[in-house]
Amino acid sequence: MRNIIAIFKKEFKIYFETPVAYVVFGIFSLISGYFFLQIFSYFQRQSLQFLQYQAAHMLEHMNLNDMVMRPLFLNINVFFLLMIPVITMRLIADEKRLKTYELLMTSPVTTWQIVLGKYLASLSVILVMVLIVFIYPMLLSFFGSEGGLSTGSIEWMPLLTSGIGLFLAGASFAALGIFASSLTESQIISAIVSFGLLLLFWVIGWASAGAEGILKEVLRYLSLLEHLDQFTKGLIEVKDIVYYFSVIYFGLFLTQQSISSQRWR
Amino acid sequence: MIEVKGLTKFYKQIRAIEDVSFSVEKGDIVGFLGPNGAGKTTTMKIITGFMPPDSGVAKVAGFDVFESPLEVKKRIGYLPENPPVYNDMTVYDYLKFVAEIKGIESKKIDVEIERVSESCGITDVQKRLIAHLSKGFRQRVGIAQAILGNPEIVIFDEPTIGLDPNQVFEVRTLIKELAKEKTIILSTHILPEVEMTCKKVIVIHKGRIVAKENIEDLLRRRTKISEMTVRVKRFSIELMKQIRDKFNIKVSQPPELENGFNFELENQEDRIEDIAKFIVDGGYGLLEFRPITLSLEDVFRELTTEEKTV
Repeated sequence: MRNIIAIFKKEFKIYFETPVAYVVFGIFSLISGYFFLQIFSYFQRQSLQFLQYQAAHMLEHMNLNDMVMRPLFLNINVFFLLMIPVITMRLIADEKRLKTYELLMTSPVTTWQIVLGKYLASLSVILVMVLIVFIYPMLLSFFGSEGGLSTGSIEWMPLLTSGIGLFLAGASFAALGIFASSLTESQIISAIVSFGLLLLFWVIGWASAGAEGILKEVLRYLSLLEHLDQFTKGLIEVKDIVYYFSVIYFGLFLTQQSISSQRWR
Repeated sequence: MIEVKGLTKFYKQIRAIEDVSFSVEKGDIVGFLGPNGAGKTTTMKIITGFMPPDSGVAKVAGFDVFESPLEVKKRIGYLPENPPVYNDMTVYDYLKFVAEIKGIESKKIDVEIERVSESCGITDVQKRLIAHLSKGFRQRVGIAQAILGNPEIVIFDEPTIGLDPNQVFEVRTLIKELAKEKTIILSTHILPEVEMTCKKVIVIHKGRIVAKENIEDLLRRRTKISEMTVRVKRFSIELMKQIRDKFNIKVSQPPELENGFNFELENQEDRIEDIAKFIVDGGYGLLEFRPITLSLEDVFRELTTEEKTV
């Protein structure tokens, strides 16, 4: 445990004492802010239209949770596919390039401890990104409640589950990212391989549209982006949790195997 | 302390080392000598547990490197060819990180960092980013890292490469200092370094060990032919000829020797006295009469050059 903490602390420092984390946060805020702005102004325009046409039954459906926050979370999930490889690409590849890999491999620490310490550090960056997303509902609840509209209020519980879901999604992307990083000493190759892996796990779900029966279900289940949906509805389902943790374990296991096997080659 | 038997390692089809065996006793300071690409680094990487051999056994302090790697790694401080430092960290943070993964008790970490910083002369740069340090200081940080936690065995892979002469001297002094209490393996292809710091040498060439013994023994054993040089006040070619014929030995006059010559004796050391007496009695005015000793460099070249390999 001490070793994991030591490696975590080192990686954490490198993320947060160099510009890396702040550039990631800056770009992430910019893009997610733009998503938010677009989704919210669409919501506004629609609400206004329904008000004009006095479509009361339609207005009932207009709430911030379903119409703004849910699409925002789902969009950010896709954006995570692009951001997370950038966070994880240096984790192991850079050690190899700098030759500090030899220090790690000749120190009395196990491969699992190295992998877990590094992985947890990348999760800390993802956690901050998920927290950044919560700025938007806070803005909504602060300014939205002034109008006295029932639509202006925010329900926090579904947001919490969405946040948990988004974090788990990010964590599973990072597990595949660290595996890609363990394959090479080039950060660029590492990033490209993890983009590839993540996109593959995303588009695998598209095939389900043309498939039938059990295959359809399996393909849908495998898709990385399918599983956030229930979370954004406020539902935490065992099958989604199992999915995310399986991907995380799978990614970390492959990383550990790839590091150990390199010593034999 | 370290026992290595029959190590063989191939990279793809290329043989890095073959059947390397040697042992290092506690307190020894061993020079691991060989030309570039001879297999020095490979051997060290195996001993430190960085990678396994294809066959053979390596044992450190009684522990097999691949059965109980953690026990072995706890006992070895290792400085790889490139100091394994993180540019984005300060010297202090870096040493602290290394101390933590080496499992040094948290209470003792600061004392330990203080100690190694002092002996490596990096106390003043503790707060600086490693990226901003000169090559010499990075190397010292690398050495500090290796001796952190006071390991019983320290392995240095080419510790003075890329340093300026003053830094080289400092690093060697430091290694000598360490040698008082530790078992040290030092890999290098710089011979004076070995002569200065080590008692024993292991010479490796093309993946095989070609010599392993005390430096003095190695030199003595290799010095079968002793060559002597003579300088006199009144030199003449006649003198050379006379000596050659009288004692039936090989004589030669190298161009840089104006008033003298060299002669070779093959295990006939008792004749030195006669030759000296001959020159003195002949009234040539003897100025100098000394053996030309074989340097480690000559031996090394002899051991690692194809034509002469014994």
